[in-house]
Amino acid sequence: MAPSQTTYSPSMEKLVKSLKGQTLEASIESFIYLLKRRQVKGDDCADATAHILRQVVAKSKWSDVDQLLSRVQTVGSRLAKAAPHEPIIGNIVRRVMGLIRDEASEDRNADDFGSEAASDIQSLATAIAPPSHSGPPQRPGPVPFRPPPLTSVASFHIAKPKSMFNLLSVVETAESTITAASTPLSQAAPTSIHALRSEVLDGIEEIMDEISQADDQIAGFADIQIFPGDYVLAYLPSRTVERFLVKAAAKRKFTVFLVSLENPNTTTGEAPYAALRKKLSSSGVKTISIASNGLMAYMARINKVVFSARVVYQNGGLLVDSGASVAAQAAKAHSKPVIALGGVYKFCPEDPSDEIAGEAGDSSTYVSYAEGLKLDSLEVENTVADYVPPELVDVYLTNLGPQTRHHLAAIMADHYKPEDVGFSFLSNE
Amino acid sequence: GRRPSILIVEKDIRSSIPECFSHLPMAKRIPLSQVHKDVHPAVLSIGQQMSTFAIKDSISRLEATLKAFRKVIESYETPKGNSLSRHFVPHALNPQIEYLTECRPMCFSMGNAIRLLKAKVNSFDIDTPEDEAKEGLLEMIELFINERITLAEFVIARNAAKQIQDGDLVLTYGSHRLVEKTFLRARGDGRSFSVSIIDDPYDRGGQVMATTLRKAGIRVFYSPNLGGLKTHVERATNVILGAEAIFANGSLHAAAGTADIAVAATAASKKVIALCETINFDRERVSVDALTYNEIDPEQNSAESFRLLYDTTRDHYITGVITEFETGSGNSPAQAI
Repeated sequence: MAPSQTTYSPSMEKLVKSLKGQTLEASIESFIYLLKRRQVKGDDCADATAHILRQVVAKSKWSDVDQLLSRVQTVGSRLAKAAPHEPIIGNIVRRVMGLIRDEASEDRNADDFGSEAASDIQSLATAIAPPSHSGPPQRPGPVPFRPPPLTSVASFHIAKPKSMFNLLSVVETAESTITAASTPLSQAAPTSIHALRSEVLDGIEEIMDEISQADDQIAGFADIQIFPGDYVLAYLPSRTVERFLVKAAAKRKFTVFLVSLENPNTTTGEAPYAALRKKLSSSGVKTISIASNGLMAYMARINKVVFSARVVYQNGGLLVDSGASVAAQAAKAHSKPVIALGGVYKFCPEDPSDEIAGEAGDSSTYVSYAEGLKLDSLEVENTVADYVPPELVDVYLTNLGPQTRHHLAAIMADHYKPEDVGFSFLSNE
Repeated sequence: GRRPSILIVEKDIRSSIPECFSHLPMAKRIPLSQVHKDVHPAVLSIGQQMSTFAIKDSISRLEATLKAFRKVIESYETPKGNSLSRHFVPHALNPQIEYLTECRPMCFSMGNAIRLLKAKVNSFDIDTPEDEAKEGLLEMIELFINERITLAEFVIARNAAKQIQDGDLVLTYGSHRLVEKTFLRARGDGRSFSVSIIDDPYDRGGQVMATTLRKAGIRVFYSPNLGGLKTHVERATNVILGAEAIFANGSLHAAAGTADIAVAATAASKKVIALCETINFDRERVSVDALTYNEIDPEQNSAESFRLLYDTTRDHYITGVITEFETGSGNSPAQAI
């Protein structure tokens, strides 16, 4: 089914609102409920996960970095397990965990500064902990003298008061890092905890900003990708794709082929994408709504195919809405470029899962069991998610600009800590 | 007068067709009051059924046309001073053909049959007695229905059924009479296999076939749309597709979506078999994309939706074509016709 905004944004608003009034546990439970009922989907999952983790950092009790990491990981696992079909949840959890690790090591480094005795051990610890690769502009690795992260607020660098207590805690930190990860990373002073909390909260705010701004930033590249006179096939246009098309329409005259999987017999009332079509036509862009699943028939006319990724896997494959792989495959057969849209928060440092692609959905919308087709006599399979292999994707258009498959690994390394990449939120360990 | 009103109606129907598809034809309902007086009642009836897609696939349309033409021939009387071989085609047959074409663009098999029928009329001597000529035409139609439709279907189903082995999971798209016959034949031959039907949600012919196959004791997996196609194709052992026609360059003309199945199957290295009677082969027309020859779905022709009925599958996505005469590759169009 087409992800039209109207179907899930009300529950999303309600959720965010409820986060303020409820206890943490109640918020988590209500989010899990919405996830299981699939009332929060796709991009909203990312946003809602960030909201929940923000509450975890703000409200739950923790006295050191390890405890905080473990709280975030536990809640993250619960969310991920509630919606195994939304790997984007894991992305956000990893981002937040990476953020905490960054802030914690920054604290340590700042403290270090005043203690020469600890600095040797500290540098040893840094050497043992795998450093993050290739100097990311967003989240630099743990280097002693570093500029404030671009995405962080400058107030981070206010020097903390130094005391004997701090000095001790630093030494402990370094030792424990060497011995075992399960023992506390640091037992910092209350002031330091307080600072860390507010730094992490700020960091999560920034992730939320990144999510909310991604669509606009992606749309900013629209006029590079779309030319006057183009015939663009938009498969199940998401909000990201809608914004992209509308932005392009402000500058270019082209034609959009809208394809929806929506079943004509179950569609009631308003035609699909009526609002989008109205917006485009007011800019002089023609739209043609294709009532077909097979797209080979139209591909001779098409110049490029655009759809949004639910998730971009580390191999460059995509998790997409059902049927988008047919569009990509038809484009390939006709050598037409495929442009996949998605912010870097959709980059998932995992391998594609066979189970997620081919996820089964409600079949009763397609088959009327009243017509004599009994459940036991026919095995009806309605998939709602598809996998697009990397060789079918030409351009990954992110909020950081267009990327090729070969550059994905560097972006992944910039955004996730190696110790979080290997963690599976779905396993029971 | 009447004429202008027809033009206005026609313009309205076609006005919602996007410009880039405006070269393609579309079936159209013709009010009975506007039908030419020379159109035979039997033809009138099937024309209406074709324009509403009550008679839909190529072979059903061919069969209906031949049977209606039989009535046209039976009721034909050569006017005084004329001969059947000179008068029948322009005055009796052509008005029927024009009307049928107006109702819905003619399919390849109808075109082929009509060409053969006209050749037969031309083969008559100018002074062949009317009875003898009519008898010859009726015999030809009889033979045509028996050989090119009934027997062809039987032979194709028999040969295609041999391609199905025990334990196979055969994937197909939508519904096609030859494909259905093949599955039933294979089942009748004692093969034990399953069928995966990928349906077109805008047509849903596959649901009907699914029920039929299920009743015959075949295990059926049904997918209402092309979602998850890759997974379905990878799980299947082979693919059998029905064709509406085959072009001179070996391209398949079939229900829209067929090409998507064939491309996915080829990518997964699965055998793709197409079934087609030789009467559906076109020896003259060549098509490399679906926009050369196609038809617009009149049911989905509005500002909110647009749909093409067919697509073109290039021969390199097809492993083999099974006809009633031979089994070969797509680009060796049957010599038989």
